[in-house]
Amino acid sequence: MAASAPVEAGIRVRLFAALRETAGWGERLIAATTPCAGTPLALWQQLGLEPRCQGPDIPPGGIRAAINKQFASWDTPLAAGDELAFLPPISGG
Amino acid sequence: MATPPGATAPQAEPRLSIRLEPEPFEPLRALAAWHAELAAVLEDPPAAESLFIGRVRPHTAGGEPLAALELEHYPGMTEAQLHALAYAAAQRHGAAAVLVHHRVGRVQPGESIVLVAVAADRRGPAQRCSQELLEALKHEAPFWKREWLGDGSGHWVQGNTPL
Repeated sequence: MAASAPVEAGIRVRLFAALRETAGWGERLIAATTPCAGTPLALWQQLGLEPRCQGPDIPPGGIRAAINKQFASWDTPLAAGDELAFLPPISGG
Repeated sequence: MATPPGATAPQAEPRLSIRLEPEPFEPLRALAAWHAELAAVLEDPPAAESLFIGRVRPHTAGGEPLAALELEHYPGMTEAQLHALAYAAAQRHGAAAVLVHHRVGRVQPGESIVLVAVAADRRGPAQRCSQELLEALKHEAPFWKREWLGDGSGHWVQGNTPL
């Protein structure tokens, strides 16, 4: 049923700064029913983002995940309609 | 978390003034406006105030002349994080009011990039809250800097400058 899932049911994935430019895109909508799209770590690996993970259960070094604009752990279950952002190392102030 | 030594228990909810600045801003004018806001709502202005103004250096981390600094942020999350960090720091130190103005977009060398002000009953809480909040926003508020050089090339800054 993934092909017929409404757009609103997807997971919006956003990349920022160097991550966005390395990947060549800043925002994508992923069908929530896509296999292995259940956590930030699974989506990171599914999308083939850099840097690559050093193991199947090891998050990419220096990168943080945020779900619905709040920091989240890499194994947080995602739900349809979530906005998932991958954040490179912060350098504010 | 335990109240730090010297901190006073919060008397009321801290007043937060958080703003992202897409254009150049003058910190002293921002402070004057904040003081006027506080004077209008607080019967007795806090006796102590700690201020920090950060400006863009004229050179990159690698020592090259800097043409401009670009600040990217995550709209919605950055503001929410600044509020959460300011509230937590103010509560922890018993500060009465916190001001944070932070530039976004393209910033020229010498321009102000961040203004943090903390008003409290005593200098200790004001200064400790200000420093804690400044360090927190450098690591926990989603901002990313890109250094632009005179030849038009740019690169993303990895991490923060030393304390």
